[in-house]
Amino acid sequence: MSSQRVLPQSKETLLQSYNKRLKDDIRSILDNFTEIIKTAKVEDETQVSRATQAEQEHYEMHVRAANIVRAGESLMKLVSDLKQFLILNDFPSVNEAINHRNQQLHALQEECDKKLTNLRDEIAIDLYELEEEYYSSRYK
Amino acid sequence: MANDRLRSLEEVEKEIGVVLQCAGNIILEPSKEKHNASLLDRQLSQFTGCVSRVESELSGQIRYLTQVATGQPHEGSTYSARKDCQMALNRVEYARLKLGELGQTCERLLDPQT
Repeated sequence: MSSQRVLPQSKETLLQSYNKRLKDDIRSILDNFTEIIKTAKVEDETQVSRATQAEQEHYEMHVRAANIVRAGESLMKLVSDLKQFLILNDFPSVNEAINHRNQQLHALQEECDKKLTNLRDEIAIDLYELEEEYYSSRYK
Repeated sequence: MANDRLRSLEEVEKEIGVVLQCAGNIILEPSKEKHNASLLDRQLSQFTGCVSRVESELSGQIRYLTQVATGQPHEGSTYSARKDCQMALNRVEYARLKLGELGQTCERLLDPQT
């Protein structure tokens, strides 16, 4: 009983973690992109020399661009995790796939048996004629 | 149904690639001597559109999974139907084999050389 209670909670926790990852990654992409655009603006007055300021902004842009790429890769991993979760836990789709496959196999089985039955009937007719011919000949 | 959802997740993956590409193009544009404002507008609208599409699609998938997932393993199987079908194919193969033997016997008897 306690183990049954643990499973739904872990499922809920997992889906909540997916939601959190999604929101964090989207926010990271948007925030870092916005900050890069803001940093591109050239300021007239700076606290340090222009060279130092340019160097610092250059480094900041690199870091923010790396953050955007990291968030993009994290989103790709999230999509991969969602695909795996969908395949394992989307019961309506799994049931539909199983029913569809069962119907295909059942139809193939019926077709095989129908063809065998027709073959049996044709061979029975031929066998009847052959028996008539044999038993009315001198070789019986 | 399952294929549609997996296909839409694959589209989301492509959209994430488009998001990163648009972000790179937008950041690259101000570095050029002559800015193309219309290109910037197009790339920016594409970027924001893709980001919102990615977010809404993934949120929708997570919401659907919250409704249908039970945490239990699925115990359905197609074994019974596969077994019945395999037995039917074995019957067909056996009938084909026997008819082949019958045909060879008839040919041997009807061969004028024997």
